Amino acid sequence: MKVFRRILVAAVALTASTGATLAADWTPPGPIKLMIAFRAGGGADTQARLIAEALEAKLGWKFIPEQVTGKGGLNMAAALKDAANDGTAIGMTVTETFGYNMAAAPKAGMKPADFTGLTTTAGFQMGVVAPSSKGWTSFGDMVAAGKGGEQIRFGVMSPKLADLAYLLGKAQGVSLNIVSVRGGKAVMDGVNAGDLDVGFMAGIQAKGVAAGDLVNLASGLSEPLNQTPDAPTLADLGVAFNADGQFVFVGPAGMPEDARTALIDAIAGVVTDDTTKAGGYIKKAFGSAVVISGSDLDAMLQTSYDAAGALLKAASE
Amino acid sequence: MMGTLDYIWLGVLAVFQGPELFSIFGLPISITLLMILCGFLLGIVVGATPGLAGPVAMAISLPILISVFGYTPDALLPVMGFLIGIMKGATIGGAVPAILFNTPGTPDAYMTTLDGYPMAQKGHAKKALRVAHFASVSGDTFSDVVLVICAPFLALLVEQYLDLPEKTALLILSLSFIAAAVGGSAAKGLISTGLGLLVAFIGTGADFYPRLSMGTEALSQGITLGPAILGVLIIGAVFHELAGQWRHRDVASRPVPQIEIGSDRLSLGDIRKLMPYIGRSAIVGTMVGALPGIGSTLAATIGYTMGQRRHEKRAKLDEPAFGEGAMEGIAATEAANSSVSGANLIPVLSLGIPGNTAAVFLILAADSIGGFNPGPSVFKFTTDAVNPELVIAFGLFTAMFVANFLNWTIGGLFMRSMGVMARVPKQLLLPVVLLLTLTAIYVQETRLEVIWFTLAFGLLGYGMRLLAISPLPFVIAFILGGKLEATARQAFDATGSDPFFLLNNPIAAAFMVLSVAIIFLASRKKPESK
Amino acid sequence: MKKPLFQNTNVMTGLFFTALALLLLFVWIPLDSDTGLIEKVRRQVAIGDALAPTVAALFLLIGGGLLMLLEGKSDTPPAIDAASVKFVARIFAMLVLSFVLMRYAGPLAVQVVNAIQGNDLEYRLLRDTAPWKWLGYVLGGTLAICGTISLTEGRFSLRALVVALLAIAAMIAIFDLPFDDLLLPPNGDL
Repeated sequence: MKVFRRILVAAVALTASTGATLAADWTPPGPIKLMIAFRAGGGADTQARLIAEALEAKLGWKFIPEQVTGKGGLNMAAALKDAANDGTAIGMTVTETFGYNMAAAPKAGMKPADFTGLTTTAGFQMGVVAPSSKGWTSFGDMVAAGKGGEQIRFGVMSPKLADLAYLLGKAQGVSLNIVSVRGGKAVMDGVNAGDLDVGFMAGIQAKGVAAGDLVNLASGLSEPLNQTPDAPTLADLGVAFNADGQFVFVGPAGMPEDARTALIDAIAGVVTDDTTKAGGYIKKAFGSAVVISGSDLDAMLQTSYDAAGALLKAASE
Repeated sequence: MMGTLDYIWLGVLAVFQGPELFSIFGLPISITLLMILCGFLLGIVVGATPGLAGPVAMAISLPILISVFGYTPDALLPVMGFLIGIMKGATIGGAVPAILFNTPGTPDAYMTTLDGYPMAQKGHAKKALRVAHFASVSGDTFSDVVLVICAPFLALLVEQYLDLPEKTALLILSLSFIAAAVGGSAAKGLISTGLGLLVAFIGTGADFYPRLSMGTEALSQGITLGPAILGVLIIGAVFHELAGQWRHRDVASRPVPQIEIGSDRLSLGDIRKLMPYIGRSAIVGTMVGALPGIGSTLAATIGYTMGQRRHEKRAKLDEPAFGEGAMEGIAATEAANSSVSGANLIPVLSLGIPGNTAAVFLILAADSIGGFNPGPSVFKFTTDAVNPELVIAFGLFTAMFVANFLNWTIGGLFMRSMGVMARVPKQLLLPVVLLLTLTAIYVQETRLEVIWFTLAFGLLGYGMRLLAISPLPFVIAFILGGKLEATARQAFDATGSDPFFLLNNPIAAAFMVLSVAIIFLASRKKPESK
Repeated sequence: MKKPLFQNTNVMTGLFFTALALLLLFVWIPLDSDTGLIEKVRRQVAIGDALAPTVAALFLLIGGGLLMLLEGKSDTPPAIDAASVKFVARIFAMLVLSFVLMRYAGPLAVQVVNAIQGNDLEYRLLRDTAPWKWLGYVLGGTLAICGTISLTEGRFSLRALVVALLAIAAMIAIFDLPFDDLLLPPNGDL
């Protein structure tokens, strides 16, 4: 997907240029509530809190971080949707919340247009990861084991990933026992403990892969993994969908343009600067910052929402 | 490469060399050490105050500590060290008003009143306190040693032999054991467990629709740990106590301190006399503590009864019998109830199953801060990369021994000065505790709904106390509920949707048979009269 | 002294929880969860969202049943003292009132000030500004503590008010002054 790269480059250029002029004089009228859709203490939560800290130090804005977890970010989105849209309430989740999850939960009655996209901060290095103790060195080895009659337990941490795993098995002609667990850390623990044979991991595998304990069998993204560029992508393996996704900051719909631009500039400025604690953390934990913001982000969220139907349909066949 | 000893050493260093606060004579004092000390002293104070107890102090300090230390793995040792300090301090503190004024400061100190108060009346209050302290610390230390040896071993065993179906069956077994063992009635235990599970399942689940939320936004985020646990355990207890205060509002009783007769020192002969009682009680307490849910009250009862039997056979005629001020009685009780606390962390750290309220709060802390998930995965001795959770685990063990050291050195002295706490009027203290708890929950979750939830669970806790339904199974089932469902789902999926996954392998089947058998046996037993 | 509220509390408790369990099993769980006991997703049979609550309801059903059958004849069912229950109900009502006061005192005060001075202030934006942020907490908290003490002692006393004010001041000093990102109730909701 070259489009993705183009958006990224364009977005970085855009934020760099428009920044200072429009929004320089916007200051939040009160403290900013930052709703975090992840459990406290995890990588995503740490990232959000570090960004807030950096902005407090840099701009003197006041953030009040708060956990609103559950239902793949939908709980956070529901709380944020009705909050004040003057820039004093923003949320942090993953793009999957607005794409697959909102499409899969029509009862929740939310769509990307109910929100104002601010900016993404970092992407995932989503891999299909097995422990090296299984003896599989390539995705083909796993398929061969499956075809040889071995039951393969495939760990996933979200419904979208479960669908992808299902399609992956279907495309490769092996039946996988798809096991849903809570969070990427749980997939890794399950794989390490032998409860799972293989699973999706969104970047936490890096240390284990480097140490030789874990193997990236495939990339869950539209592009190869940075760490294991030779591993096939899902498209190479016959799956027309991918797990591309980023951490994203959003606000309620109808946020005034000056507030929006100021927030985008502020957040993007911190995450792309790896001399800050937040930027350094993102570089260390997620490879590099990915900044897609403003109307590009709105468009991307809307596209992934519209496209989710196809994945849902394919996975229910 | 990392070996076992490297991990232990890293854990010790994590406590002693953590972020440095200040240094004394060039010796850096780490923040964790200071937190253990503060927690320990606070624990003695609240333990010695009737109406307060360890859990209250833990509940209130947790949000404050988290604000101080933040949501990073660096926060784990100082915060949990503080909680461990409270746990240990409250255990010895509880004996103070029991001995001096015949009112147990903590529920498990009830048996201590039996001999402690008569001793105090005879003018040996200080000596009774020394016996209690010595026995308590001995039992506690013994229990911690057992914990350190057993927890990693058990965890490794679990990871090696238990697959997802067996883990599911083990959780079911723990729940049915807790339902059957806590309180006098298996039927009431089952009700308490069922309520805890039910609450855990509200708003959760795998679907995007939050089940049992009745379409409300308040319920769709689910019930978090704070309101449910603190509501039932603390607010419920406050309601109950307030009602008691109100009933007896006209009775003014002021405890009278006693004057000491003779030496209050423990001689070597005394210690030699006490050791057999302490030793037996420590073993009993440790064994009871290792089983989730039974708790220190039963341990104290067993320890006391065993001590009594031994004493009847061996005591000389001129020595006071149990119940008339025998120091062996205090020793047997205190050693037993104190040795529960360390062993109680065996199921917590190796299986993630809490056994008593102190363990519940340690899990609550780990869950709130993140980065440490008590359970078998903690004890993965990775050799290439450092397993940070294992370092934390050994750091916690170190913290426990630091607390024990404090207990041996300054604990006794501090404890003996705490008699004054029994004079704090409960009817003034409890309302403050009430608002303090609600505020502490609110600053962590910042939704007014949590206050309503907490008050509602407080009513539930009060109702349960009225009907003699123990709230402990509720709390433990509530904590384990999500885990039980997740593990069962995973086991079912992993076995390729085998409907008999709990029955078609021998270990899981054995656990299931045991679960049913325990309930069956316990419900046939005559319910204890209250 | 004590008058039992019901003939036998064990039987009543058992009956209540049996009824609750049946209500759960046949009404609440089926109506209020999206998937049944099991569901079929991605051609794999999986455990549905209704199964776990059903297990919880079964615990209640068995517990309630056993309580009625085995302990219904117990000679020593816990006795319920109606006066104490009424007392706790009064405490509860007092607390609810206190928290309602806590929630609305600040915003109301801002509106009053706006009306007098013609300002256009909004409490939400002032929720982290002294002294506004303490208004609700001080009023509601004082009522909660002072009210509970007075109810328990059976009379209002100056001592209760002093204890309440001191405690509130201490709590503000503990939770609010040292920490930038902690909000006292009710300020996080706004």
